[in-house]
Amino acid sequence: MASTNVGSREQILERVRSALQQSAPRPESNPAAPIFPPVADPLSRFQEECAANYTECILASGAAGTAAALQQVLASLPDGEVFLQDVPVLRKLMEVAPSARPLRWSNEGGPGESSQATVSLCEALVAMSGSVLVSSRNCGGRGISVVAPCHVVLAGIDQLLPDLDAALDRIRQIAPHSSFVGLITGTSRTSDIEKKLVIGAHGPQRVVVILQN
Amino acid sequence: MTIATGPSPKPSTRPPGAESKFHHDAAIKAADDAHRTTVRRNIDTYNVAVDTGKARFSDWEAARRRCQQIKWEAVNHLDRYLVEFEENIKRRGGHVFWAASSEEARNYVLELAAARGVKTVVKSKSMVTEEVHLNPALEARGIQVWETDLGEYIVQLRDEPPYHILTPAMHLSHAQILQLFREKIPGDIEGESHEELVAAARRALRRAFFSAEMGISGANFLVADAGMVAISTNEGNGRLCTSVPPIHVVFAGIEKIIPRLQDLATLWPVLTTAGTGQFLTTYGTLIGGPRTAEEIDGPREFHLILLDNGRSRLLADIEQREVLHCIRCGACLNACPVYRNIGGHAYGTTYMGPIGSVLTPHLRGLDEYQHLSFASSLCGACSEVCPVRIDLAHHLLHNRRNAVDRTPRPWRERLAMRLWRWAMLDGRRFRMAGTLGRMALLTLYGAGAQQTKMDPLHAWTEAREAPPLAPVSFHDRWRRSHGKH
Amino acid sequence: MVPQVAFDMVAVLRRIGWQLDYPEEQTCCGQPAFNTGYWDEARPVAERFVRIFRQAEAVICPSGSCTAMVRNFYPELLAKSALRDDALALGKRVFEFSEFLVDYARVTDVGACFPHRVTYHDSCHLLRELHIQEQPRTLLRHVGGLELIELPYADECCGFGGSFAVKLPEISAAMGMVKARNIESTGADYVTSCDPSCLMHISGVLRRRRSQAKAIHLASILAVQQAVPGRNPVAEEVAQ
Repeated sequence: MASTNVGSREQILERVRSALQQSAPRPESNPAAPIFPPVADPLSRFQEECAANYTECILASGAAGTAAALQQVLASLPDGEVFLQDVPVLRKLMEVAPSARPLRWSNEGGPGESSQATVSLCEALVAMSGSVLVSSRNCGGRGISVVAPCHVVLAGIDQLLPDLDAALDRIRQIAPHSSFVGLITGTSRTSDIEKKLVIGAHGPQRVVVILQN
Repeated sequence: MTIATGPSPKPSTRPPGAESKFHHDAAIKAADDAHRTTVRRNIDTYNVAVDTGKARFSDWEAARRRCQQIKWEAVNHLDRYLVEFEENIKRRGGHVFWAASSEEARNYVLELAAARGVKTVVKSKSMVTEEVHLNPALEARGIQVWETDLGEYIVQLRDEPPYHILTPAMHLSHAQILQLFREKIPGDIEGESHEELVAAARRALRRAFFSAEMGISGANFLVADAGMVAISTNEGNGRLCTSVPPIHVVFAGIEKIIPRLQDLATLWPVLTTAGTGQFLTTYGTLIGGPRTAEEIDGPREFHLILLDNGRSRLLADIEQREVLHCIRCGACLNACPVYRNIGGHAYGTTYMGPIGSVLTPHLRGLDEYQHLSFASSLCGACSEVCPVRIDLAHHLLHNRRNAVDRTPRPWRERLAMRLWRWAMLDGRRFRMAGTLGRMALLTLYGAGAQQTKMDPLHAWTEAREAPPLAPVSFHDRWRRSHGKH
Repeated sequence: MVPQVAFDMVAVLRRIGWQLDYPEEQTCCGQPAFNTGYWDEARPVAERFVRIFRQAEAVICPSGSCTAMVRNFYPELLAKSALRDDALALGKRVFEFSEFLVDYARVTDVGACFPHRVTYHDSCHLLRELHIQEQPRTLLRHVGGLELIELPYADECCGFGGSFAVKLPEISAAMGMVKARNIESTGADYVTSCDPSCLMHISGVLRRRRSQAKAIHLASILAVQQAVPGRNPVAEEVAQ
């Protein structure tokens, strides 16, 4: 099976070009009209949205506060391995506040099937939706944000973006260098049974953002 | 008097299957009160969620218009954006395969799976894979396919097709799903709650994610300028399918293209609001190809299958080209009073509801599938709710007109329409026809013919009382009251 | 098709000072053929309609679907016709009855009296093609003694849909049943609407179910000036 097999590329493009010889009438629009109310106070909006989408948002003062918060979250988990993004700031944090539980770092590969929790940085936070922006390139890969029942994100308050336009602008900068970019809004969930919301499906049931100022 | 004649009707080449099966299945479901209650309850829940979701927008109508603009731009310059998208995917190390037909799309995956020794596939929800009937083809080659979206997993266990393009198990109650899991999932289901059912599905599918050689997903949007596939999901199964197995295959219709990453700032919340009432799904995923050299995990191979399968033909139909703007949100299904009564399976096609009724004749043939465009009361609710402003109700009319112009319709119908026209073109003929009709019905009904085989309105009177017949027409009463005789 | 409704409309208009002319040669707007895809049959009928009415200052119609046909669908049906411009112009001068009263004649109280519990059904073309939703309710609220009860799922299709009603009668009947159940849940004595075709279908379903509620056109309610004990307005039509 050759990776040069493009199938019916020419035939399809020819049909498309031929079909498009005439343009359908352009619909009217007002491109400048804003469609969302502006975000007044990004930090409190982010906290409200997190509460609504079941993201736990912990405000921490400085590195010491972050270390303490992380220690507390890890202590609250059932026994088992924690997988962390291999970056200096996380290495340092785990030295300052060591854990008795087994740790695995991303320099050894991706998270296993049975990690209890993962810890990563993020690219940004989005206030309007209470979202976390991650990339495979800079936040420890793809699996780290979905494989374990608990995903802990360390963020700085300067990473807070107001809305989706700003988020997509950031994504545009990251995209050329990363095979995966993810906008994560809350915990995994499903309403496939009688439209009743159930929190926690295949992805994390807990998402914790430790927000350092 | 001249009755104008058109081309003589050809004998119908239409196989009796699709239309009569639809009629039969729809009639059964229309009489099923339990089904109707379940569907209406779920749609009521959806409607409340959507109203809440729309309230976040300062201008929902402006958002719809902007989405309509974005899709217009994409679809009316489709060749340019498809080529741009392909170049960007290739630059990232992915492979793009252009499939003219379902068969070509299936064969590509079958060959790839054979070449890589794939034994297990995990799938994230994709209506396009339903359209090309991928699962049976994989299974025929001995490959195990796991549908991992909960609704898809449920209907897979029941060996039935999805019921709705967004919520595949919308027709089932909690009790039915509990029963199903007890029968079909090995091991114990601890308890009965919704949470426990979801946990059971998680346990059942977990191993599959980590052992499958191939993950297959759909795509909500193909972003041309970034060379990335955008996928909106809630459960995390889509993320796992596209992160863990070493091969990732994406299926997408050619019309899924959007020009720019920035377009997602409007499309994401509009799709999600119309689809479920949420602002965003939990996972807004963008994937540009296999893992890069610096990344620690992710698939090593990325294959994207662009499917035509009749879309380029619809593209050439200027009047209905906008039907390709559809973002597959499912809002029109939920709004449709016909869908609410007959449900998703009766349509007998991959795409159901108003979008299915408009689209299927184009993808699979007007001759065989026109009956879906006729199976509507033309209430217009679909056009009203469509987040990208496709005038679906109007396109149903276009399909009907095309059916009359291009395909054999029953000769009795053509004759009746010609007689109707003859009568409507002259006031006296019109009144004479009305009088004769009234007299005939009064006579027959006077003799007790209502609801019998002699009743010309039998199709009506089976379920409804016949309208009371005015013995004197408006025209005659008017003349009398204005002193003319 | 429903003479009493037209007479009631004329009576109401006369009461508020409007004289109506009835062009006797009129037949149909062409919608039945248009909706079934027979546009070549519908076109000459539509052209005839335009010819008959194009001199009128205003055309008033007691049917939302017919009004929508002329205003919203004639432009496309007659796009290549010599009468296209006349049709476009006529579209601006054609009015559904409640729309005429409230928006054109600027009357909301027509001096009607109808002391009953009434619920209102939004017919589809009236609501979604013509965007007429408040006008009928406004008129009903000004009717003496009338208690207006909002119908659950008022804007859900009743299931008539033209030939749909006899081509797919099971689906049509199911939709009618849903509508009937909603009407019955209000406890209303009457259900009203601005479309005779909806009312014919809803009435047929209600009577088959032996419901307490009866269907009546808005014009027939507005035509009643004084409650006469023992006289049922709907019965008038059959007794003629």
